[in-house]
Amino acid sequence: MKTTYHSASMELSIPSELGYEIIARDAVAVFALRLGFSPERVEDLKTALSEACINAIEHGNLLTPGLRVHIACIYDHERLIIQIHDQGLKRYACTTTPLTTAEKIAGLGSMRGMGLLLIEQLMDEAGFLPDAQDGNCFRFTLYR
Amino acid sequence: MLEDELNVSIRQREGVSIIDLMGDVTTFAEEKINDAYRQVTEQGARTVLLNFRQNDYINSAGIAILIGIVTEVNRNNQKLAVSGLSQHFQKIFRMVGLAQYAEIYQDEDEAFQAFKSALAES
Repeated sequence: MKTTYHSASMELSIPSELGYEIIARDAVAVFALRLGFSPERVEDLKTALSEACINAIEHGNLLTPGLRVHIACIYDHERLIIQIHDQGLKRYACTTTPLTTAEKIAGLGSMRGMGLLLIEQLMDEAGFLPDAQDGNCFRFTLYR
Repeated sequence: MLEDELNVSIRQREGVSIIDLMGDVTTFAEEKINDAYRQVTEQGARTVLLNFRQNDYINSAGIAILIGIVTEVNRNNQKLAVSGLSQHFQKIFRMVGLAQYAEIYQDEDEAFQAFKSALAES
């Protein structure tokens, strides 16, 4: 018998170490599939979640051992909201337009820096919470 | 601790240098991918096919490595093609603009059919 969820939530806490974003990604993917999101949308969610965790680990917590990244998933029947909270050694909300691939190839900047762009394109809503306490909080939403 | 294992190998098929990438393409893949590209270039590769296999995870750091390869391919007047990506990662490659610099094929055989057709037309 298939279970119908009208609301559900889940929280995870991972170390600031690259590689743990894969474990978080897989857990959240299973959660979204159980909630009935399509496999295609869950693939988008997996990429967005990985990129948001990498940003939190690398740019928020500056790869500092001992610091954590907290992931909260809240489902309210029509949408799945994900909040990624780091311990904010550095504020990293991006205010500049990321370079395009053509500009990167032309040598105008770093090859990195496409994570936020991917999240914004794959998710229905995405952005930093401006009044987050004790660190950066990035939130994105996937609608049904 | 959780570094991903990516297996990278190179081979030749009908004059094309193929770099097989099996596993996750992340920041940990940089040395392996760049070494493989350097090797095929030193061997005189004119066409390079990046053949992805069972790649469940390609992140923005992995994409950055591939943009670096595109830069080198342009500098060395080579041709770059990509095969074996899942539908999701084909979409990601188009989204970030990589598809403008490398033809994307479903699999290795489709890539070779296209190479042969292009050769016949030239």
